[in-house]
Amino acid sequence: MSEALLAFLSGSLGSLAGWTATLRETAPLLITGLAVALAFRGGVWNIGAEGQLLAGALCATAVATRLWPGAPGIFLLPAVALAGAVGGAFFGALAGALRAARGVSEVISTILLNFVASSLVALAIHGPLQEASRAYPKSDPFPAAALLPSFGRVHAGLLVALLLAFLLHVLVSRTPFGFRLRAVGLAPNAARFAGISPERIAVTTLALSGALAGLAGAFEVAGVTGQLYEGLSAGTGYTAIAVALLARLEPLWVIPSALFFGALEAGAAAMQREAGVPAVVTQVVQGVVILLAVGVSIRRRPGVRLPARARSEAG
Amino acid sequence: MLDGVSLEVAQGEVLALLGENGAGKSTLMNVLAGLVKPDAGGLELAGERVDLTGWGPRGARDHGVGMVHQRSALVPAFTVAENLCFGDTRAGPWFRPGAELRAAEAQSRRFELEVPAGRRVEELAPGQRQRAEILRALGRGARLLILDEPTAVLTPGEASALFAAVRRLRDAGRAVIFISHKLAEVEQVADRVTILRRGRVVANLSARALGARELGARELGRLMLGRDLPPLERPAARAGEARLVLRGLCVPGVTESSRLRGLDLEVRGGEIVGVVGIDGNGQRELEEALAGVRKPSAGSIEVAGRRVALRPRALRRAGLAHLSGDRERAGLVRGMSLAENFILKGSWDDRRFFRRGRIDRRAAARAAREAAERFGIVPPDPERDIASLSGGNAQKLAVARELDGDPPVLVAVNPTRGLDVGSARFVHEQLLARRAAGGAVLLISAELDEALALADRVIALVRGELRRVPPGADRAAIGAILLGEGAA
Repeated sequence: MSEALLAFLSGSLGSLAGWTATLRETAPLLITGLAVALAFRGGVWNIGAEGQLLAGALCATAVATRLWPGAPGIFLLPAVALAGAVGGAFFGALAGALRAARGVSEVISTILLNFVASSLVALAIHGPLQEASRAYPKSDPFPAAALLPSFGRVHAGLLVALLLAFLLHVLVSRTPFGFRLRAVGLAPNAARFAGISPERIAVTTLALSGALAGLAGAFEVAGVTGQLYEGLSAGTGYTAIAVALLARLEPLWVIPSALFFGALEAGAAAMQREAGVPAVVTQVVQGVVILLAVGVSIRRRPGVRLPARARSEAG
Repeated sequence: MLDGVSLEVAQGEVLALLGENGAGKSTLMNVLAGLVKPDAGGLELAGERVDLTGWGPRGARDHGVGMVHQRSALVPAFTVAENLCFGDTRAGPWFRPGAELRAAEAQSRRFELEVPAGRRVEELAPGQRQRAEILRALGRGARLLILDEPTAVLTPGEASALFAAVRRLRDAGRAVIFISHKLAEVEQVADRVTILRRGRVVANLSARALGARELGARELGRLMLGRDLPPLERPAARAGEARLVLRGLCVPGVTESSRLRGLDLEVRGGEIVGVVGIDGNGQRELEEALAGVRKPSAGSIEVAGRRVALRPRALRRAGLAHLSGDRERAGLVRGMSLAENFILKGSWDDRRFFRRGRIDRRAAARAAREAAERFGIVPPDPERDIASLSGGNAQKLAVARELDGDPPVLVAVNPTRGLDVGSARFVHEQLLARRAAGGAVLLISAELDEALALADRVIALVRGELRRVPPGADRAAIGAILLGEGAA
């Protein structure tokens, strides 16, 4: 038991190697956590960060290995990141358009699009994006110019993610768009009467949210794996929901929240590697944290009142 | 909330409980119905002292307390008969549709409360729905019946029918507590009146004393408010030119009877036009069309002489402001501050608060504070969540926002719904001030008294059509028109 705990600690925050592993896990969780937080603030339940991440990784890989592999570094890396964002945004906007036009619940459509995205990845790496040698179902390795600069094993995507957290904070709390987004998230009907179109906000929010998740996917392939293969994301887009909820949907709070879950993932891997503890145990811990986070955030959600309190206030 | 309140009601008596919103009427009744536990005090029912330690809804029911809430507690998708046996612990495990239906019909005859027992509750008129609720309470053996503002949803005719039913129940030896803030009803139905103010009993009067001391409506109002309420002043109208014109407005409805069928209407500057009607006859559709959130199938709207695209922002820019008694429809967002709510409607083009992609929070806070001080919003703190404000104060903010910039046209829809007498008076004064300043006011109200007190002209909205109400028509005549019995 103590052996497992030690492995967990040194594998997460107790050593330099642990910290680099934690930060590496943190980067995608932070960006996808922001994606989910933004969507939830706007009242759209984007469960599809996973699929949007994969779509982003797919598009990034297409640009880096097929469409523009010879481009100079200053252009290629931004193009790869942009392709990731566009791919994710497309998947997000698709769900948004379905909701705006046909009233399809984004909960359903984003979950289903997760399957579409992972199937598309499988299709691509068995087909057009498969490596030149055709030995394994994976893409060619990224050209060096398409790889994110990294410090040790931590890639620059983490810095971008931190920057994005501040940008989103400003976007949500200080800009007219963020203002309308929050209004729709809190009371869509009231927002409609105030001249804001909840449908339009939903499409925009889902596209933005998808763009973020797609960017996370691009950073994964360009910063960590250097190529696309199946099982690229082991549920990052789902953990992101817990990350966002624990942060109570505040972009700045997503930073420590993502760090917490990043440490949990890194420590779990170490515990499994060095002490032979099944990863299931940490999944249980994660599950408990998610339940706690959900319980706390529901209690604090404005507008949702406990019946007993509502009664005593009714006069 | 309640502070040492004592209350007594005898068998065969109707007690009216009067008080403003927030006076503690509902809390007191919730104690009786077992929904709220008192901190101190005792309860005797039919001479038997009740142990309050385990007091709850089931205990209240077993002691014969039946409550009819303001909001219907029936299951809309069930029939009346199903609702009557639903939750009845005496029923066996099996549902027997035929027997339940016959039992419901028998009960309906026994108490002379006529309901279509086989129809689904969602298809019923408000009056029928309410009778079904009363039947359900009686069917569970209620000897003390509590009616929480029962006439709020009824037409004058339905209200009279309810009063008759209440009198029959009283004569059959049941006790009835009738909660209200309408003085006229109390005089019609109550044997005794208890008035609550801020959680205390301020007066306890028998109906005879009411008559003997010639306590008029005004005196009762003074007791309820704790201060005198002068009558509304409404100087003679000086109507100007047409500011709001509807031409052949057709709007798809939520139900067939609420579809608007070609409305023609003109509201001139300096006048208040009252549209009265029973809920579900197109009020909602008319409001939504005027707010720009429901698309008409035909017809047009002109504001200040110009035809306007029927979208929220276009209407607002043209000078049409919309005030609603419903927080959501008023465009108030819980979870946002007073300042944010104040600037919400201008979030697309109000340059005072929105410039170059950012919000001028200081200007918003300043404007909200000014409005709060001018309109007496308590507390006048622009950063406070609107959800923490009372209904009256939230509504004052909506009024402040809508009247900001002196819009030539104001559409007010049940603007005082759920407000206490003092706040309602404030809103009424603001509507009259708008009229005095030359604004055109369209008042869509389910409260006939409100429309009669404020409007220069009253029009009835019946099954999606406007019907003329002759000037000087009394409540009974208007009631007949609303039910579609009068001449078109």
